[in-house]
Amino acid sequence: MSEEQGKATWDPKIIAIVCNWCTYAGADLAGISRIQYPPNVRIVRVPCTGRINPFYIVRALQEGADGVLVSGCHPGECHYLTGNLSARRKFAMLKKFLDYIGVESDRTTFTWCSASEGERFAKVVRGVTEKVRSVGPARRLVKSL
Amino acid sequence: MEAIERNLREEAKRLLAEKKVDVIVGYEAGTLPLTATPTFITDPAEAERLVWNPLCVHNLAKYVHDVITQHRNSQKRVKPESRTRKVVGVVARGCTSRSIILHLQERQYGREDIVIIGVPCQGYIDRKKLSVSLNGEEVLSGTIEGDEIKVMTGTGEKRLRLSDVLADNCITCRFNNPIISDVSLGEPASAMKAEEEFNEVNAFEQLSSDERWAYFEKEMAKCIRCYACRQACPSCYCPECFVEQSRPQWVGIGGDASDTQVFQIMRIFHMVGRCVDCGSCIAVCPMGVDLRKFLKKLDKDAFELFGSRAGSSLEDPPVLSTFKEHECEDFIYNP
Repeated sequence: MSEEQGKATWDPKIIAIVCNWCTYAGADLAGISRIQYPPNVRIVRVPCTGRINPFYIVRALQEGADGVLVSGCHPGECHYLTGNLSARRKFAMLKKFLDYIGVESDRTTFTWCSASEGERFAKVVRGVTEKVRSVGPARRLVKSL
Repeated sequence: MEAIERNLREEAKRLLAEKKVDVIVGYEAGTLPLTATPTFITDPAEAERLVWNPLCVHNLAKYVHDVITQHRNSQKRVKPESRTRKVVGVVARGCTSRSIILHLQERQYGREDIVIIGVPCQGYIDRKKLSVSLNGEEVLSGTIEGDEIKVMTGTGEKRLRLSDVLADNCITCRFNNPIISDVSLGEPASAMKAEEEFNEVNAFEQLSSDERWAYFEKEMAKCIRCYACRQACPSCYCPECFVEQSRPQWVGIGGDASDTQVFQIMRIFHMVGRCVDCGSCIAVCPMGVDLRKFLKKLDKDAFELFGSRAGSSLEDPPVLSTFKEHECEDFIYNP
């Protein structure tokens, strides 16, 4: 496939790193409830957003993800009590830093989504897919193979 | 400066003679003209070797950590009842004392393991700036007289203003006096231009995303991944660094530009709330990568978002090891 063709058929690839207790269950609920959302997200389940090494996000972008979505329990509702609060500080710094070095800020998204919010999860995925689609295919930080 | 140096030698001699410390980590005159190098003094008679001047570049907290860790590891093979403790005296200016605070907060050693000899600091000389102002000519000999440097090169004598060749991080330093110290030498130094410390970052933020990426790409393309920045950084003390881990392999080791970028992003990001802006990584970088522009951004964000400055107080917890219930909620995506 030529590069031109590749661009024409491009569809965003988004890595969603979600916590086991809230957002993963929320995504499950969206599925059970047959709520339609774009098939562009690849979900990676982790125990808690506090478990996510910022490296996962940078690495996903390097390996060719067009966007990264991180979602966990709402603040105060973490299964491990404070995992998402520690994570919030980390991600606030990371998002600003990636934007600062020139990786478009629309590529990284952080949000909260509980187990009962299937509708919200679908809305988040729709929104993130649109955001990533508008910035186009990842060009920066991507490993050329 | 001379008075501080004299006091420093006396103090070091006294601490060693009274067996308050086992070793003093300080600076001595380097083998090349206009350089200073870290030194380890164990004999009171050798305390005369110590120097304190604007050539002292290194952040000695790195060496304190190394000495204590090595000693602790060596004691593992000794019977518990005959294990010894090693007390390290360290010549510390502002940034060194901040690094020591970070080590203490991260439980790398105890307060009783170190004796901090605090020295006021008016900045150190950036070798790269010096080299540029001498048009790359070799320094044959040189002396510092007040706020002037007299340098002898192949083409004759040159006089430079000290303030013209100070390192960038020193010019805008906010913490040029030690934050904690057991022994203080000399009067506190006068403030540097601390109000300008974020100017460079602010200016860079005004550029467009494309320009910022172009700059980042250009700077990182210089990096040869010698890891000198990591070796010199007092906050980089992991027994095994992520760049050398192979299971999983975090960073590719090939020549791809993105591997270098990812290495630098992650090393820099490990410095959130841990970079004291001592300039060690920049001083040792053989390629002159502009690391400070990116490290300082983290300092600025941590200060603006969480009101925290790395190592500025023994009581404040490191920025990423604490949280508040309601803070920085504006970056959370809400569809």
